[in-house]
Amino acid sequence: MNRVLVVDDEPQIRRALRTSLEAHGYEVQTVGTGEEAVIGAAESAPELMLLDLGLPDLDGTEVIRRVRGFTELPIIVLSVRDAQQDKVAALDAGADDYVTKPFAMEELLARARAAMRRAQPGEPPAPTMRFGALEMDLGRRLVLLEGETLRLTPTEYQLLEAFATHPGKLLTHQWLLRKVWGQGYGTETTYLRTYVRALRKKLGDDAQAPQLIVTEPGVGYRWIAESTDAES
Amino acid sequence: MVVSEEHEAEGTAKFTLRGTVIGLITPAIATAIAFPLAPARPEISIALFMLAVVIAAVAGGLGAGLIAGILASTIRPLVVEDPQLTFRFDDVEDVATGVVFLSVALIVGLLVGQASEDRARASRREREARFLGTLSSTLHTGEVPDRVLDEFAEVLLEPFALSKVEVEASLDGTELRAVSRTDGESSPGPRTTVPLLAGEASIGRLVAERPDGGRPFSRDDQLLLEAAARQATAALDRARLDARARIAQLDAETNQLRAAMFSSVTHDLRTPLASIKAGVTSLLDAAVHHDPEQERDLLTTILEETDRLNRLVGNLLDLARIRAGALTPTRQQAAMDEIVEVVLARMRPRLVHHTVAADLPSDLPDVSVDPVQLDQVLTNLLENAGRHAPEGSEIRVSVQWIRDAVQVRIADQGPGIPLDERERVFEAFYRGSSSPETPGSGLGLAISKAVVVAHGGRIWIEGGPDGGCVVAFEIPREEVAP
Repeated sequence: MNRVLVVDDEPQIRRALRTSLEAHGYEVQTVGTGEEAVIGAAESAPELMLLDLGLPDLDGTEVIRRVRGFTELPIIVLSVRDAQQDKVAALDAGADDYVTKPFAMEELLARARAAMRRAQPGEPPAPTMRFGALEMDLGRRLVLLEGETLRLTPTEYQLLEAFATHPGKLLTHQWLLRKVWGQGYGTETTYLRTYVRALRKKLGDDAQAPQLIVTEPGVGYRWIAESTDAES
Repeated sequence: MVVSEEHEAEGTAKFTLRGTVIGLITPAIATAIAFPLAPARPEISIALFMLAVVIAAVAGGLGAGLIAGILASTIRPLVVEDPQLTFRFDDVEDVATGVVFLSVALIVGLLVGQASEDRARASRREREARFLGTLSSTLHTGEVPDRVLDEFAEVLLEPFALSKVEVEASLDGTELRAVSRTDGESSPGPRTTVPLLAGEASIGRLVAERPDGGRPFSRDDQLLLEAAARQATAALDRARLDARARIAQLDAETNQLRAAMFSSVTHDLRTPLASIKAGVTSLLDAAVHHDPEQERDLLTTILEETDRLNRLVGNLLDLARIRAGALTPTRQQAAMDEIVEVVLARMRPRLVHHTVAADLPSDLPDVSVDPVQLDQVLTNLLENAGRHAPEGSEIRVSVQWIRDAVQVRIADQGPGIPLDERERVFEAFYRGSSSPETPGSGLGLAISKAVVVAHGGRIWIEGGPDGGCVVAFEIPREEVAP
């Protein structure tokens, strides 16, 4: 059974989350402070942490940093609408995703499932991937769209690979820039935007009704396409 | 308009070059005409010389008249009585004629001088009156005291040919000061000081200065400056009272706004809460059995009302932030078309009853904005459009680059906003007169405006080409302090 550690100082939220998560078959442990969260993450080895950023004792980002010191367990941050900087800081500190309060339970569950799926150990990215009409052969660095070879520049390809190998994950500007351009980068969001735009165009993805790449304003991008079985 | 200038005092005998020339020429002409006629008709020559004297006095003033008179009385006897032109001036008749000529010159000259001085004085009075009139309308335009003083200092420069004006006044314990000077350096010349009098009490002073080599201040200048200073004092007093009245009015409006806000917020917060509580208690009621469809209806209502409450609380928080001056954009380089795309992607489900069209060129330069705040502005504006435009109509979003600023326009085919309300709709809790029943807290536009202004931009309402309403805003590319 999947164990979830819920960290929130509001008893009502803890109760609501416990009820809903247990109804979906998760085993739930709830704590109300950052210190307890770090201890809980270490001692009970949960498969997911839901972390409220506004804790009474420790800053949420600090909790993430400490937890990341010993485990890669998926962390989903729960935060209020306006704390955009806090969200970005939490993601850059190692959180996997965030959900804005108030949230719909189904959205939280979907994010939780995706995060836990990505964290499955011992499963390197498949050499070939398929997202609907889009096929990728990572070994041969080949991309097919509706059976036709898609000509991508090296940077476009690296960007697409970064997206496709992290399905459902919210990738921050900083993370993408370092991944694709290199460690010295992090603030050149204009480059990133230009390449995302070009990639969207080549992939035929409409930013106003995206099927592949969703923009999270001020934060980053998320690859939303569901992987379909490449072998079939 | 120049009110201060030198004029000749024509009532006294002044021998200007022009006067002397006229005084010499007129008797010469008279001599030329009289010479052939004189022996036969001496009385005509007398008349001619008399005419010459009168003409000289009229045209050249007293000086010219006297010269012409002396000349005429000297020449006439020679011309008339002695064709051999031997000088002779012993006749009683000649002396009498000379006295008459000079008297005529004197009388006519004095009269002419008087008239011309009257004319000069009248025209000066007229210029002064016009100056004071202009001054009064310049100073009475509902300005604050500081502006009144500035304008006063400025407006004196040209009419008085001044190089520098300094005005100081003490108003309600506040020291005001205004200085204006003409372009270009000049060393100080004549200066004069005039008090600003409110009744008998002096509330300040005016120091006027002419450039080096300028005319000294005449009595007229002094009087006119005093009159101007009295007007300035009156204008200052009026401006001070106006300012007080404005504050009082503002207070009243604030109170009214507070009351409106209170009732509006109370209503807007209570309504969704009421629906939620009714729904939940109904679901919890063991005595009632709901079929699955009813249950779903109730739950959907609860969900929708929760979202509504959430939006309202968000807006109220933003408003509080604006009031506290805490709405600071966290800027980053961003593309406006991308922000619009994201909002459109998110809003489409809520605008399914409208046709949403977008003109988004992708080659626009980046702007330095807070993407989250801009997202919120666009969301508010699209929500408004969706609320007011009839179902099935088109909502068009377009982004353009105009003069180093990015401009976003959201056009709908709703009822539009009357001209006289286009400013007021940006006030918090203002609801358009045409749609008082349309839901919405009346905060969206106020918040949008605050965000746009915090970005150094502006937002406004236009009428669409075929009716409807266009809300447009623009944000400069470079960061501009609001």
